[in-house]
Amino acid sequence: MLNKMVGIIDDIGGVTLFMKEVFRTGIKTPCTFSEIMDQTWKVTIQSLSTTAMAGFFVGAIMTVQFTLQVSQFGALGYLGGLATSGTIREVGPLLIAFMLSGKVGAFTSAELGTMRVTEQIDAIKCLGANPIQEIILPRFVGIILSSFFLLTIGLFMSIWGGLLMGIVFSGISIEEYVRHIPNIVSPVSIVTGLFKCFVFAFVLASICTYKGYNATGGAKGVGKAVVDTAVFTMIGIVIADWVTSAIGESVMELFLK
Amino acid sequence: MSATVEFQNVQMSFEEDVLLKNINFQIHKGEKFVLIGPSGEGKSVLLKLMAGILKPSEGKILIEGHDMWNCLPKDRLALLRKMGMLFQKNALFDSLTVGENVAFPMREITQKSEQEIQKQVKYFLQEVDILHALELFPDEISGGMQKRLGIARALALEPGIIFYDDPTAGLDPITSRMIVELILRLQKELNSTIIAITNDMNRAYQMADRMAMVVDGELIITGNVGETQQHKDPRVVQFIHGYLKGPLTEHTEVNA
Repeated sequence: MLNKMVGIIDDIGGVTLFMKEVFRTGIKTPCTFSEIMDQTWKVTIQSLSTTAMAGFFVGAIMTVQFTLQVSQFGALGYLGGLATSGTIREVGPLLIAFMLSGKVGAFTSAELGTMRVTEQIDAIKCLGANPIQEIILPRFVGIILSSFFLLTIGLFMSIWGGLLMGIVFSGISIEEYVRHIPNIVSPVSIVTGLFKCFVFAFVLASICTYKGYNATGGAKGVGKAVVDTAVFTMIGIVIADWVTSAIGESVMELFLK
Repeated sequence: MSATVEFQNVQMSFEEDVLLKNINFQIHKGEKFVLIGPSGEGKSVLLKLMAGILKPSEGKILIEGHDMWNCLPKDRLALLRKMGMLFQKNALFDSLTVGENVAFPMREITQKSEQEIQKQVKYFLQEVDILHALELFPDEISGGMQKRLGIARALALEPGIIFYDDPTAGLDPITSRMIVELILRLQKELNSTIIAITNDMNRAYQMADRMAMVVDGELIITGNVGETQQHKDPRVVQFIHGYLKGPLTEHTEVNA
Protein backbone atom coordinates (compact mmCIF):
# COMPACT_ATOMS: atom_id res chain seq x y z
CA MET A 1 0.00 0.00 0.00
CA LEU A 2 2.77 2.38 1.04
CA ASN A 3 4.75 1.40 -2.07
CA LYS A 4 1.73 2.14 -4.25
CA MET A 5 1.32 5.58 -2.65
CA VAL A 6 5.01 6.31 -3.20
CA GLY A 7 4.63 5.13 -6.81
CA ILE A 8 1.68 7.47 -7.40
CA ILE A 9 3.52 10.44 -5.88
CA ASP A 10 6.56 9.52 -7.96
CA ASP A 11 4.40 9.47 -11.10
CA ILE A 12 2.83 12.85 -10.30
CA GLY A 13 6.30 14.31 -9.85
CA GLY A 14 7.47 12.58 -13.02
CA VAL A 15 4.61 13.98 -15.13
CA THR A 16 5.19 17.47 -13.69
CA LEU A 17 8.93 17.42 -14.51
CA PHE A 18 8.20 15.94 -17.93
CA MET A 19 5.70 18.73 -18.67
CA LYS A 20 8.25 21.29 -17.53
CA GLU A 21 10.71 19.82 -20.05
CA VAL A 22 8.06 19.75 -22.80
CA PHE A 23 7.10 23.40 -22.20
CA ARG A 24 10.74 24.49 -21.98
CA THR A 25 11.50 22.74 -25.25
CA GLY A 26 8.33 24.21 -26.81
CA ILE A 27 9.47 27.72 -25.92
CA LYS A 28 13.16 27.34 -26.75
CA THR A 29 13.04 25.06 -29.78
CA PRO A 30 9.47 24.62 -30.99
CA CYS A 31 8.58 21.99 -33.54
CA THR A 32 7.29 23.03 -36.95
CA PHE A 33 3.67 23.90 -37.69
CA SER A 34 3.48 21.15 -40.32
CA GLU A 35 4.59 18.50 -37.79
CA ILE A 36 1.81 19.58 -35.40
CA MET A 37 -0.79 19.63 -38.17
CA ASP A 38 0.37 16.22 -39.33
CA GLN A 39 -0.13 14.73 -35.84
CA THR A 40 -3.43 16.56 -35.31
CA TRP A 41 -4.76 15.23 -38.60
CA LYS A 42 -3.60 11.66 -37.84
CA VAL A 43 -5.26 11.57 -34.40
CA THR A 44 -8.43 13.27 -35.63
CA ILE A 45 -8.94 10.93 -38.57
CA GLN A 46 -8.17 7.93 -36.37
CA SER A 47 -10.91 8.75 -33.86
CA LEU A 48 -13.48 10.91 -35.64
CA SER A 49 -16.04 8.20 -36.42
CA THR A 50 -15.86 6.51 -33.00
CA THR A 51 -16.03 9.84 -31.15
CA ALA A 52 -19.01 10.98 -33.22
CA MET A 53 -20.77 7.68 -32.56
CA ALA A 54 -19.98 7.76 -28.84
CA GLY A 55 -21.18 11.37 -28.63
CA PHE A 56 -24.42 10.54 -30.43
CA PHE A 57 -25.25 7.73 -28.02
CA VAL A 58 -24.25 9.73 -24.94
CA GLY A 59 -26.88 12.30 -25.94
CA ALA A 60 -29.37 9.54 -26.63
CA ILE A 61 -28.78 7.93 -23.21
CA MET A 62 -29.18 11.26 -21.42
CA THR A 63 -32.51 11.88 -23.16
CA VAL A 64 -33.81 8.42 -22.27
CA GLN A 65 -32.80 8.92 -18.63
CA PHE A 66 -34.34 12.39 -18.40
CA THR A 67 -37.54 11.24 -20.12
CA LEU A 68 -38.20 8.80 -17.30
CA GLN A 69 -37.70 11.56 -14.70
CA VAL A 70 -39.44 14.56 -16.25
CA SER A 71 -42.45 12.64 -17.61
CA GLN A 72 -43.46 11.89 -13.99
CA PHE A 73 -43.90 15.61 -13.44
CA GLY A 74 -45.48 16.30 -16.83
CA ALA A 75 -42.52 18.43 -17.77
CA LEU A 76 -41.50 16.80 -21.05
CA GLY A 77 -41.18 20.28 -22.56
CA TYR A 78 -38.02 20.76 -20.50
CA LEU A 79 -36.50 17.50 -21.73
CA GLY A 80 -34.35 19.04 -24.47
CA GLY A 81 -32.97 21.77 -22.20
CA LEU A 82 -32.17 19.46 -19.30
CA ALA A 83 -30.66 16.67 -21.41
CA THR A 84 -28.56 19.08 -23.47
CA SER A 85 -27.35 20.99 -20.41
CA GLY A 86 -26.38 17.79 -18.59
CA THR A 87 -24.65 16.45 -21.66
CA ILE A 88 -22.70 19.59 -22.49
CA ARG A 89 -21.60 20.39 -18.96
CA GLU A 90 -20.88 17.00 -17.51
CA VAL A 91 -21.58 13.65 -19.07
CA GLY A 92 -20.57 14.40 -22.66
CA PRO A 93 -17.00 15.63 -22.05
CA LEU A 94 -16.42 12.93 -19.42
CA LEU A 95 -17.58 9.91 -21.41
CA ILE A 96 -16.02 11.06 -24.67
CA ALA A 97 -12.72 11.79 -22.89
CA PHE A 98 -12.81 8.26 -21.42
CA MET A 99 -13.25 6.86 -24.89
CA LEU A 100 -10.41 8.98 -26.27
CA SER A 101 -8.14 7.91 -23.42
CA GLY A 102 -8.66 4.32 -24.53
CA LYS A 103 -8.07 5.07 -28.19
CA VAL A 104 -5.70 8.04 -28.56
CA GLY A 105 -3.97 7.61 -25.19
CA ALA A 106 -3.33 3.89 -25.57
CA PHE A 107 -2.17 4.27 -29.18
CA THR A 108 0.24 7.10 -28.37
CA SER A 109 1.77 5.46 -25.30
CA ALA A 110 2.17 2.17 -27.22
CA GLU A 111 3.81 4.00 -30.14
CA LEU A 112 6.21 5.97 -27.92
CA GLY A 113 6.87 2.95 -25.69
CA THR A 114 7.82 0.87 -28.72
CA MET A 115 10.11 3.67 -29.89
CA ARG A 116 11.74 3.64 -26.45
CA VAL A 117 12.28 -0.11 -26.14
CA THR A 118 13.54 -0.45 -29.73
CA GLU A 119 16.09 2.31 -28.98
CA GLN A 120 14.63 4.71 -31.57
CA ILE A 121 14.58 7.46 -28.92
CA ASP A 122 18.25 6.73 -28.10
CA ALA A 123 18.97 6.91 -31.83
CA ILE A 124 17.43 10.39 -32.02
CA LYS A 125 19.56 11.49 -29.03
CA CYS A 126 22.64 9.94 -30.60
CA LEU A 127 22.06 11.90 -33.80
CA GLY A 128 22.32 15.10 -31.77
CA ALA A 129 18.59 15.84 -31.98
CA ASN A 130 16.20 16.39 -29.06
CA PRO A 131 13.57 13.60 -28.81
CA ILE A 132 11.24 15.89 -26.83
CA GLN A 133 11.27 18.34 -29.73
CA GLU A 134 11.18 15.68 -32.43
CA ILE A 135 8.56 13.23 -31.19
CA ILE A 136 6.90 14.45 -27.98
CA LEU A 137 6.07 18.07 -28.75
CA PRO A 138 4.23 17.44 -32.06
CA ARG A 139 2.25 14.60 -30.47
CA PHE A 140 1.50 16.56 -27.29
CA VAL A 141 0.17 19.61 -29.14
CA GLY A 142 -1.49 17.42 -31.80
CA ILE A 143 -3.35 15.37 -29.17
CA ILE A 144 -4.55 18.50 -27.35
CA LEU A 145 -5.80 20.13 -30.55
CA SER A 146 -7.41 17.01 -31.96
CA SER A 147 -8.90 15.86 -28.64
CA PHE A 148 -10.39 19.31 -28.10
CA PHE A 149 -11.80 19.23 -31.64
CA LEU A 150 -13.05 15.64 -31.25
CA LEU A 151 -14.67 16.37 -27.88
CA THR A 152 -16.43 19.37 -29.42
CA ILE A 153 -17.63 17.23 -32.35
CA GLY A 154 -18.72 14.59 -29.83
CA LEU A 155 -20.75 17.17 -27.89
CA PHE A 156 -22.37 18.43 -31.09
CA MET A 157 -23.29 14.85 -32.03
CA SER A 158 -24.66 14.25 -28.53
CA ILE A 159 -27.16 17.06 -29.08
CA TRP A 160 -28.31 15.36 -32.27
CA GLY A 161 -28.49 11.99 -30.49
CA GLY A 162 -30.58 13.55 -27.73
CA LEU A 163 -32.87 15.26 -30.24
CA LEU A 164 -33.44 12.04 -32.22
CA MET A 165 -34.17 10.06 -29.06
CA GLY A 166 -36.52 12.84 -27.90
CA ILE A 167 -38.54 12.41 -31.06
CA VAL A 168 -38.40 8.60 -31.27
CA PHE A 169 -38.48 7.55 -27.59
CA SER A 170 -40.24 10.43 -25.85
CA GLY A 171 -42.59 11.32 -28.69
CA ILE A 172 -42.03 15.09 -28.62
CA SER A 173 -41.55 17.36 -31.61
CA ILE A 174 -38.30 19.06 -32.62
CA GLU A 175 -39.79 22.43 -31.67
CA GLU A 176 -40.73 21.18 -28.21
CA TYR A 177 -37.30 19.65 -27.68
CA VAL A 178 -35.33 22.76 -28.58
CA ARG A 179 -37.71 25.33 -27.05
CA HIS A 180 -36.09 25.50 -23.59
CA ILE A 181 -32.55 24.81 -24.64
CA PRO A 182 -31.61 28.54 -24.85
CA ASN A 183 -33.12 29.13 -21.36
CA ILE A 184 -31.40 26.24 -19.63
CA VAL A 185 -28.15 25.95 -21.58
CA SER A 186 -26.40 29.23 -20.72
CA PRO A 187 -23.24 30.50 -22.42
CA VAL A 188 -21.44 29.65 -19.16
CA SER A 189 -22.53 26.00 -19.58
CA ILE A 190 -21.08 25.93 -23.07
CA VAL A 191 -17.84 27.60 -21.96
CA THR A 192 -17.61 25.21 -18.98
CA GLY A 193 -18.12 22.22 -21.30
CA LEU A 194 -15.48 23.45 -23.75
CA PHE A 195 -13.08 24.30 -20.91
CA LYS A 196 -13.51 20.76 -19.61
CA CYS A 197 -12.76 19.42 -23.09
CA PHE A 198 -9.50 21.38 -23.12
CA VAL A 199 -8.49 20.28 -19.60
CA PHE A 200 -9.28 16.62 -20.34
CA ALA A 201 -7.30 16.83 -23.58
CA PHE A 202 -4.33 18.25 -21.64
CA VAL A 203 -4.54 15.49 -19.00
CA LEU A 204 -4.75 12.83 -21.71
CA ALA A 205 -1.84 14.24 -23.74
CA SER A 206 0.47 14.69 -20.77
CA ILE A 207 -0.11 11.23 -19.24
CA CYS A 208 0.09 9.22 -22.46
CA THR A 209 3.25 10.94 -23.72
CA TYR A 210 4.92 10.64 -20.28
CA LYS A 211 4.08 6.96 -19.84
CA GLY A 212 5.06 6.03 -23.39
CA TYR A 213 8.30 8.01 -23.34
CA ASN A 214 9.39 6.43 -20.05
CA ALA A 215 8.45 2.82 -20.87
CA THR A 216 11.12 0.26 -20.01
CA GLY A 217 11.68 -3.45 -20.39
CA GLY A 218 10.61 -4.68 -23.82
CA ALA A 219 7.11 -5.78 -24.85
CA LYS A 220 6.03 -6.21 -21.22
CA GLY A 221 7.09 -2.64 -20.47
CA VAL A 222 5.10 -1.30 -23.42
CA GLY A 223 2.05 -3.26 -22.23
CA LYS A 224 2.45 -1.82 -18.73
CA ALA A 225 2.78 1.70 -20.14
CA VAL A 226 -0.47 1.27 -22.08
CA VAL A 227 -2.37 -0.09 -19.07
CA ASP A 228 -0.95 2.66 -16.82
CA THR A 229 -1.95 5.26 -19.40
CA ALA A 230 -5.55 4.00 -19.46
CA VAL A 231 -5.82 3.85 -15.66
CA PHE A 232 -4.04 7.11 -14.83
CA THR A 233 -5.81 9.02 -17.60
CA MET A 234 -9.21 7.97 -16.35
CA ILE A 235 -8.34 8.84 -12.76
CA GLY A 236 -6.80 12.13 -13.93
CA ILE A 237 -9.88 12.99 -15.99
CA VAL A 238 -12.27 12.28 -13.09
CA ILE A 239 -10.19 14.49 -10.76
CA ALA A 240 -9.94 17.19 -13.44
CA ASP A 241 -13.73 16.95 -13.89
CA TRP A 242 -14.26 17.55 -10.20
CA VAL A 243 -11.91 20.56 -10.21
CA THR A 244 -13.37 22.08 -13.38
CA SER A 245 -16.93 21.50 -12.14
CA ALA A 246 -16.09 23.39 -8.95
CA ILE A 247 -14.58 26.23 -11.01
CA GLY A 248 -17.60 26.18 -13.36
CA GLU A 249 -20.02 26.44 -10.44
CA SER A 250 -18.12 29.38 -8.97
CA VAL A 251 -18.14 31.17 -12.33
CA MET A 252 -21.85 30.41 -12.70
CA GLU A 253 -22.56 31.89 -9.26
CA LEU A 254 -20.66 35.03 -10.19
CA PHE A 255 -22.74 35.40 -13.35
CA LEU A 256 -26.03 34.81 -11.53
CA LYS A 257 -25.17 37.54 -9.00
CA MET B 1 48.39 9.46 -31.45
CA SER B 2 45.82 11.75 -29.80
CA ALA B 3 42.97 10.33 -27.72
CA THR B 4 39.60 10.59 -29.44
CA VAL B 5 37.71 9.00 -26.55
CA GLU B 6 38.97 9.06 -23.00
CA PHE B 7 37.39 7.69 -19.83
CA GLN B 8 38.64 9.05 -16.49
CA ASN B 9 37.52 7.15 -13.38
CA VAL B 10 34.09 6.50 -14.82
CA GLN B 11 31.54 4.71 -12.70
CA MET B 12 28.02 3.78 -13.76
CA SER B 13 25.33 2.77 -11.29
CA PHE B 14 21.65 2.04 -11.69
CA GLU B 15 20.06 2.95 -8.36
CA GLU B 16 22.08 0.84 -5.88
CA ASP B 17 23.73 -1.49 -8.42
CA VAL B 18 27.20 -0.56 -9.62
CA LEU B 19 27.54 -1.88 -13.17
CA LEU B 20 30.86 -0.30 -14.17
CA LYS B 21 33.49 0.82 -11.69
CA ASN B 22 36.54 3.00 -12.07
CA ILE B 23 36.90 2.69 -15.84
CA ASN B 24 39.99 4.35 -17.34
CA PHE B 25 41.06 4.00 -20.95
CA GLN B 26 41.80 5.89 -24.15
CA ILE B 27 40.87 5.22 -27.77
CA HIS B 28 43.02 6.88 -30.41
CA LYS B 29 42.06 8.55 -33.66
CA GLY B 30 41.56 6.10 -36.51
CA GLU B 31 41.70 3.11 -34.17
CA LYS B 32 39.43 0.05 -34.42
CA PHE B 33 38.59 -0.85 -30.84
CA VAL B 34 36.54 -3.97 -30.11
CA LEU B 35 34.73 -4.70 -26.86
CA ILE B 36 33.98 -8.28 -25.91
CA GLY B 37 32.51 -9.84 -22.79
CA PRO B 38 29.68 -11.93 -21.40
CA SER B 39 26.10 -10.70 -21.79
CA GLY B 40 24.76 -8.36 -19.13
CA GLU B 41 28.18 -7.15 -17.98
CA GLY B 42 27.72 -3.61 -19.35
CA LYS B 43 29.25 -3.52 -22.85
CA SER B 44 26.25 -1.73 -24.36
CA VAL B 45 26.12 0.63 -21.37
CA LEU B 46 29.80 1.45 -21.91
CA LEU B 47 29.08 2.17 -25.58
CA LYS B 48 26.08 4.34 -24.69
CA LEU B 49 28.26 6.27 -22.23
CA MET B 50 30.76 6.96 -25.02
CA ALA B 51 27.92 7.95 -27.38
CA GLY B 52 26.51 10.44 -24.84
CA ILE B 53 23.19 8.61 -24.48
CA LEU B 54 23.83 7.80 -20.81
CA LYS B 55 25.42 10.08 -18.23
CA PRO B 56 28.03 8.49 -15.96
CA SER B 57 27.32 8.39 -12.22
CA GLU B 58 30.91 9.49 -11.58
CA GLY B 59 34.00 10.41 -13.58
CA LYS B 60 34.69 12.17 -16.85
CA ILE B 61 34.21 11.19 -20.48
CA LEU B 62 36.31 13.23 -22.89
CA ILE B 63 35.60 13.31 -26.60
CA GLU B 64 38.48 14.90 -28.52
CA GLY B 65 39.61 16.43 -25.24
CA HIS B 66 36.22 17.97 -24.33
CA ASP B 67 34.29 16.84 -21.27
CA MET B 68 30.99 15.72 -22.71
CA TRP B 69 28.93 16.34 -19.58
CA ASN B 70 30.64 19.50 -18.41
CA CYS B 71 30.25 21.86 -21.32
CA LEU B 72 27.63 24.18 -22.84
CA PRO B 73 24.61 22.44 -24.46
CA LYS B 74 25.65 23.72 -27.90
CA ASP B 75 29.16 22.30 -27.44
CA ARG B 76 27.68 18.98 -26.34
CA LEU B 77 25.52 18.92 -29.44
CA ALA B 78 28.59 19.63 -31.56
CA LEU B 79 30.35 16.67 -29.90
CA LEU B 80 27.33 14.40 -30.42
CA ARG B 81 27.32 15.28 -34.11
CA LYS B 82 30.85 13.96 -34.42
CA MET B 83 29.56 10.50 -33.53
CA GLY B 84 27.34 7.95 -35.21
CA MET B 85 25.93 4.72 -33.86
CA LEU B 86 24.56 1.46 -35.16
CA PHE B 87 22.30 0.02 -32.46
CA GLN B 88 22.09 -3.65 -31.56
CA LYS B 89 18.52 -3.90 -32.90
CA ASN B 90 19.22 -1.20 -35.48
CA ALA B 91 16.71 1.29 -33.93
CA LEU B 92 15.42 2.24 -37.36
CA PHE B 93 12.50 4.66 -37.55
CA ASP B 94 9.79 2.26 -38.69
CA SER B 95 7.40 4.98 -39.82
CA LEU B 96 10.00 6.35 -42.26
CA THR B 97 11.19 4.79 -45.51
CA VAL B 98 14.77 3.61 -46.02
CA GLY B 99 15.63 6.90 -47.74
CA GLU B 100 13.93 9.00 -45.07
CA ASN B 101 15.80 7.14 -42.32
CA VAL B 102 19.13 8.20 -43.82
CA ALA B 103 17.83 11.70 -44.57
CA PHE B 104 16.52 12.18 -40.99
CA PRO B 105 19.79 13.28 -39.33
CA MET B 106 20.65 15.56 -42.25
CA ARG B 107 17.19 17.17 -42.20
CA GLU B 108 17.26 17.64 -38.43
CA ILE B 109 20.84 18.72 -37.93
CA THR B 110 22.26 20.26 -41.08
CA GLN B 111 21.22 23.22 -43.20
CA LYS B 112 21.60 21.25 -46.43
CA SER B 113 19.07 21.76 -49.22
CA GLU B 114 16.63 18.93 -50.00
CA GLN B 115 18.43 18.36 -53.30
CA GLU B 116 21.78 17.94 -51.53
CA ILE B 117 20.19 15.65 -48.91
CA GLN B 118 18.71 13.40 -51.62
CA LYS B 119 22.09 13.23 -53.33
CA GLN B 120 23.79 12.26 -50.04
CA VAL B 121 21.08 9.69 -49.24
CA LYS B 122 21.65 7.99 -52.60
CA TYR B 123 25.42 8.10 -52.08
CA PHE B 124 25.28 6.41 -48.66
CA LEU B 125 22.71 3.83 -49.74
CA GLN B 126 24.90 3.05 -52.74
CA GLU B 127 27.89 2.67 -50.39
CA VAL B 128 26.05 0.05 -48.33
CA ASP B 129 24.52 -1.48 -51.45
CA ILE B 130 20.80 -1.03 -50.71
CA LEU B 131 19.93 1.84 -53.04
CA HIS B 132 17.27 -0.36 -54.65
CA ALA B 133 15.33 -0.32 -51.33
CA LEU B 134 15.14 3.50 -51.18
CA GLU B 135 11.34 3.67 -51.07
CA LEU B 136 10.74 0.60 -48.87
CA PHE B 137 10.03 0.65 -45.13
CA PRO B 138 12.47 -1.01 -42.67
CA ASP B 139 10.11 -3.91 -41.95
CA GLU B 140 9.97 -4.70 -45.67
CA ILE B 141 13.70 -5.46 -45.94
CA SER B 142 15.85 -8.34 -44.63
CA GLY B 143 17.89 -8.34 -41.39
CA GLY B 144 21.15 -7.85 -43.29
CA MET B 145 19.70 -4.93 -45.24
CA GLN B 146 18.44 -3.41 -41.98
CA LYS B 147 22.00 -3.55 -40.63
CA ARG B 148 23.26 -1.87 -43.80
CA LEU B 149 20.58 0.78 -43.44
CA GLY B 150 21.58 1.32 -39.79
CA ILE B 151 25.18 1.79 -40.93
CA ALA B 152 24.14 4.24 -43.67
CA ARG B 153 22.17 6.28 -41.12
CA ALA B 154 25.08 6.23 -38.66
CA LEU B 155 27.32 7.59 -41.43
CA ALA B 156 24.86 10.23 -42.63
CA LEU B 157 26.48 13.09 -40.72
CA GLU B 158 29.93 11.84 -41.71
CA PRO B 159 31.04 11.37 -38.10
CA GLY B 160 34.64 10.83 -37.05
CA ILE B 161 33.70 8.25 -34.41
CA ILE B 162 31.31 5.40 -35.13
CA PHE B 163 29.92 2.96 -32.57
CA TYR B 164 28.72 -0.47 -33.62
CA ASP B 165 26.67 -2.33 -31.02
CA ASP B 166 26.90 -5.98 -32.05
CA PRO B 167 26.74 -5.34 -35.81
CA THR B 168 26.58 -9.04 -36.67
CA ALA B 169 23.92 -10.07 -34.14
CA GLY B 170 21.31 -12.35 -35.64
CA LEU B 171 22.98 -12.57 -39.05
CA ASP B 172 24.17 -15.67 -40.88
CA PRO B 173 27.98 -16.17 -41.11
CA ILE B 174 28.24 -14.96 -44.71
CA THR B 175 26.17 -11.82 -44.13
CA SER B 176 28.12 -11.21 -40.88
CA ARG B 177 31.37 -11.31 -42.77
CA MET B 178 30.01 -9.02 -45.47
CA ILE B 179 28.84 -6.51 -42.85
CA VAL B 180 32.24 -6.52 -41.12
CA GLU B 181 34.01 -6.05 -44.46
CA LEU B 182 31.66 -3.16 -45.21
CA ILE B 183 32.44 -1.60 -41.81
CA LEU B 184 36.20 -1.94 -42.45
CA ARG B 185 35.95 -0.54 -46.00
CA LEU B 186 33.96 2.48 -44.79
CA GLN B 187 36.40 2.99 -41.90
CA LYS B 188 39.26 3.13 -44.38
CA GLU B 189 37.42 5.46 -46.76
CA LEU B 190 36.32 7.88 -44.04
CA ASN B 191 39.39 7.43 -41.81
CA SER B 192 37.07 7.19 -38.81
CA THR B 193 37.56 5.74 -35.34
CA ILE B 194 35.40 2.70 -34.74
CA ILE B 195 34.36 1.16 -31.47
CA ALA B 196 32.46 -2.09 -31.82
CA ILE B 197 30.90 -4.70 -29.57
CA THR B 198 30.79 -8.27 -30.73
CA ASN B 199 30.71 -11.71 -29.19
CA ASP B 200 31.69 -13.37 -32.44
CA MET B 201 35.42 -13.88 -31.88
CA ASN B 202 36.22 -14.41 -35.57
CA ARG B 203 34.60 -11.09 -36.46
CA ALA B 204 36.28 -9.45 -33.45
CA TYR B 205 39.72 -10.60 -34.65
CA GLN B 206 38.85 -9.47 -38.18
CA MET B 207 37.95 -5.96 -37.01
CA ALA B 208 40.18 -5.11 -34.08
CA ASP B 209 43.36 -3.09 -33.77
CA ARG B 210 42.92 -3.39 -30.02
CA MET B 211 40.50 -5.30 -27.84
CA ALA B 212 39.07 -5.05 -24.32
CA MET B 213 36.83 -7.23 -22.22
CA VAL B 214 34.08 -5.97 -19.92
CA VAL B 215 33.61 -8.27 -16.94
CA ASP B 216 32.72 -7.91 -13.25
CA GLY B 217 32.33 -4.15 -13.70
CA GLU B 218 35.92 -3.80 -14.94
CA LEU B 219 37.42 -3.13 -18.34
CA ILE B 220 40.38 -5.38 -19.11
CA ILE B 221 42.40 -4.02 -22.02
CA THR B 222 43.56 -7.22 -23.66
CA GLY B 223 45.69 -5.62 -26.39
CA ASN B 224 45.87 -6.45 -30.07
CA VAL B 225 44.57 -9.70 -31.55
CA GLY B 226 47.76 -11.66 -30.80
CA GLU B 227 48.00 -10.33 -27.24
CA THR B 228 44.33 -11.10 -26.62
CA GLN B 229 44.78 -14.67 -27.82
CA GLN B 230 47.75 -15.08 -25.45
CA HIS B 231 46.14 -13.27 -22.49
CA LYS B 232 46.68 -14.87 -19.11
CA ASP B 233 43.53 -13.70 -17.28
CA PRO B 234 41.43 -16.89 -16.83
CA ARG B 235 38.21 -14.93 -17.53
CA VAL B 236 39.57 -13.76 -20.89
CA VAL B 237 40.85 -17.25 -21.69
CA GLN B 238 37.50 -18.84 -20.87
CA PHE B 239 35.54 -16.25 -22.86
CA ILE B 240 37.58 -16.25 -26.07
CA HIS B 241 37.72 -20.03 -26.20
CA GLY B 242 34.13 -20.48 -25.08
CA TYR B 243 34.98 -22.99 -22.31
CA LEU B 244 32.00 -24.12 -20.26
CA LYS B 245 33.99 -24.36 -17.02
CA GLY B 246 35.89 -21.45 -15.52
CA PRO B 247 35.53 -18.28 -13.45
CA LEU B 248 32.79 -16.80 -15.67
CA THR B 249 30.48 -19.75 -15.02
CA GLU B 250 31.49 -20.35 -11.42
CA HIS B 251 27.99 -19.79 -10.08
CA THR B 252 26.04 -21.38 -12.89
CA GLU B 253 24.59 -24.85 -13.34
CA VAL B 254 27.20 -25.76 -15.96
CA ASN B 255 30.05 -25.50 -13.50
CA ALA B 256 28.10 -27.00 -10.62
